[in-house]
Amino acid sequence: MRKISSVSKLAKGTTLCAMIALSAAAYASSPIPAERIAVAKSSVQRAEQSGAPEFAPVEMAAARDKLARAEKAAAEHNKQSATRLAEQADVDAQLAEATAQRQKSHKAATEFDASMQALRQESQRSTTN
Amino acid sequence: MNAKLFTGMGLALVLGACVSMPQPNAALETARLAVQTAEADPNVNKFAPLDLDRARKDLSIAEDASLHHQDAEVDQPAYLATQNARLAQAHGATKADDARVAAGQVERDQIVLASRTREAENARASAANSRVAADVALNQRDQAVSQRDQANDETARVQAELDALKATPTPRGLVMTLGDVLFDTGRAELKSGAGRKMDQLGQFLVEHSDRRVQIDGFTDSVGTDSYNEDLSQRRADSVKTALINRGVQPSRIGTEGYGKAYPVANNNDSGGRQLNRRVEVVIGGNNGTAISPRSGL
Repeated sequence: MRKISSVSKLAKGTTLCAMIALSAAAYASSPIPAERIAVAKSSVQRAEQSGAPEFAPVEMAAARDKLARAEKAAAEHNKQSATRLAEQADVDAQLAEATAQRQKSHKAATEFDASMQALRQESQRSTTN
Repeated sequence: MNAKLFTGMGLALVLGACVSMPQPNAALETARLAVQTAEADPNVNKFAPLDLDRARKDLSIAEDASLHHQDAEVDQPAYLATQNARLAQAHGATKADDARVAAGQVERDQIVLASRTREAENARASAANSRVAADVALNQRDQAVSQRDQANDETARVQAELDALKATPTPRGLVMTLGDVLFDTGRAELKSGAGRKMDQLGQFLVEHSDRRVQIDGFTDSVGTDSYNEDLSQRRADSVKTALINRGVQPSRIGTEGYGKAYPVANNNDSGGRQLNRRVEVVIGGNNGTAISPRSGL
């Protein structure tokens, strides 16, 4: 209980710091890094579950690396860097997921084409027989 | 290109000293190329136009920053434009493959259905053919059995009848000999004792209406030839009359009186002479063939 409350205190502290940093910063219109990082993290997790580590390892590694750096930058209150890295991690993760999907779909389509080819030949043979 | 350059130069001059040509930026070049490639991809236009819009927006932010020499603000939108353009292509390719498979599945279902239908029809047809063939075979077998049985029955029946008539097979046909005991000496009329034999013969000929019959009369050597020939002819005619009375058509019956010709025994003793006094009834084949006249022997 005490641990949780201390963690939530820390989170509150971080949020407070971020809010102060936000209000103090010149880029008032850009989203706060925590939110950006949360979005990027969610994209990275989705990519990891979609087979990207296997099918798109380069994009996946880039997304993970940038997410880690974004979190580090946020911890160091380097807001601009955190935001940019989080944005890049997000788009890299999306690309990793899309690339994995593309390869899976391509594989499935190729296999399907082969099975169709076989089926057409089979059908033609049984028609002419 | 030149016009643009001059316009840019003109604009730069108007804006004054703070404005010069934007510095070439590698990230921006990469982004332009990526967006151009995505724009040229038909799958992107068809399946991922929103991704492409995002990439264009990022690119225009990058171009804008570049134009205004905010070099530090170029790389981030340029990178996002590049990745979004690639994302558009990945999404487009995925959806194109998925669409192709979905369309192919419809075709596959049709082919499979057509093939199953054909198989079912073939199976039904071949089953029907087998059934017909089996029926035909059974029919043929039944017919063959029945024909064989009929033939067996017929053969057995004819044989039994012929056995009853005591007929002997010869090249001319089945020969039944009626001995002289059926006639009084010198007379042509059949004695009443001949009735039973005539009944059997008549019945046989009525039942086998396709068979012809030849009746030949013979005598011993006692007496003149003309007398003997006349007597043998009249005896043959008597048998013919008896058969006609029992329902045999006259046209099927031939008669001949041979007199003392064709003896079957020696005329020197009474036993031989008795054997020579006879009437032979020749029954023809079951195809209505004519019976050849007596010759030789």
